[in-house]
Amino acid sequence: MDVQETTAACRDAFAELASPACIHDPYPFMRWLREHDPVHRAASGLFLLSRHADIYWALKATGDAFRGPAPGELARYFSRAATSPSLNLLASTLAMKDPPTHTRLRRLISRDFTMGQIDNLRPSIARIVAARLDGITPALERGEPVDLHREFALALPMLVFAELFGMPQDDMFELAAGIGAILEGLGPHASDPQLAAADVASARVRAYFGDLIQRKRTDPRRDIVSMLVGAHDDDADTLSDAELISMLWGMLLGGFVTTAASIDHAVLAMLAYPEQRHWLQGDAVGVKAFVEEVLRCDAPVMFSSIPRIAQRDIELGGVVIPKNADVRVLIASGNRDPDAFADPDRFDPARFYGTSPGMSTDGKIMLSFGHGIHFCLGAQLARVQLAESLPRIQARFPTLAFAGQPTRDPSAFLRTFRALPVRLHAQGS
Amino acid sequence: MRVMVDQDLCGTSGQCVLTLPGTFRQREPDGVAEVCVATVPHALHAAVRLAASQCPVAAIRVIESDAGDGEPASADTAPSPAEAERHAAKDQHNLG
Repeated sequence: MDVQETTAACRDAFAELASPACIHDPYPFMRWLREHDPVHRAASGLFLLSRHADIYWALKATGDAFRGPAPGELARYFSRAATSPSLNLLASTLAMKDPPTHTRLRRLISRDFTMGQIDNLRPSIARIVAARLDGITPALERGEPVDLHREFALALPMLVFAELFGMPQDDMFELAAGIGAILEGLGPHASDPQLAAADVASARVRAYFGDLIQRKRTDPRRDIVSMLVGAHDDDADTLSDAELISMLWGMLLGGFVTTAASIDHAVLAMLAYPEQRHWLQGDAVGVKAFVEEVLRCDAPVMFSSIPRIAQRDIELGGVVIPKNADVRVLIASGNRDPDAFADPDRFDPARFYGTSPGMSTDGKIMLSFGHGIHFCLGAQLARVQLAESLPRIQARFPTLAFAGQPTRDPSAFLRTFRALPVRLHAQGS
Repeated sequence: MRVMVDQDLCGTSGQCVLTLPGTFRQREPDGVAEVCVATVPHALHAAVRLAASQCPVAAIRVIESDAGDGEPASADTAPSPAEAERHAAKDQHNLG
């Protein structure tokens, strides 16, 4: 904490976020940024916004004042764009598209992510949750430690995705093993070996989805892949196979490392603030408030992974962001901005009690799912997984406790875990 | 008060449906939001304004009318015949 207090200036916030101190606890540095350098220009030329109001504005202005890199200009922002399969796939994802293409593609995929569709998934999500908790109960009851991250937090979204995509579970587990490497390789300061590792994993995912698309074409089922293949075959202009593969790859990237991290953080909050567990023992409104506060306190994606390119010179807080600059937003900092959320470092679900999802009682937007045209497609899917999990964990394991230090991934960009060892307290509740 | 969704702008996030499921719904098959009431009752005015402010792509337009607020029979807030027909058809569909 002292380090940031005494730092006169910061050369590169992205490098600072990768430091061991920040991996452990990035929030003191984020506070420093908000207070001293809220429109930060890194040595690399990237900008980083850290105040809630600025982030909110930039997210809303995406598609207008900010757009994704034009297809022909990708190399300006990603020097290895021409040769890297990962960057190639990234370029075709929804997150990199602008209206009207973005609108067209997003609507194709939206049909499986409407609130009604996600609600239909609730019973099967509840079933997966119960089965996973059944699976870890014997070991916990024998007094053994269990890695809740691997056995539950990561397994749940993988199994949900396997069902959504109509994929065998083992295939999903295999593909998922490479997702962390891909995400790291796409970071703005990824090293050559990191990008190479991402490319190996991306090539594998691409080949797998290529095969899967063929299988769904000949034997369509009720799953997202079959549906998208159908949309493509009905109207070849709508979605190319390459776009389809990018879309599936993008959903895999966005979908479960993030959900897993939020489940991990929720369990951490339950253990760190036992006085707040009562939110999980009452009605759905209380559960929702707890879930939203977990999402606010620890945004799993700390800053935006895709470039937002300024379409003109933009003045923000007395700083001119020049046209064509790549602007990133530090979502995790916006969520801790006292101008938006009073006493922001305090875990307090009451902020979200009885509000519409994602909005505080003061009418401020929780930024973890983004805002604007790229608002997280899977937001509700993630919320339902959290809401179906947490009360069940609380009810089944009221004496849950740490069985060791949780291990974080050493990432500047994702606030994710490698392990979350838990056990049951010997003395009953 | 009346409320409209700009369907060209709608980002299909479904936030409005989560906020006010009785006022908004997502149309099949593409998830674009639509309004399912002709006028907004008084009790929901504040909630509708909030939903509008929360829409990630600002696609929700609130039309505050001077008179006849919350009066479904009022002439200036009545839906167009085509709109009414569309909603009637949907209601039937929902019942069936």
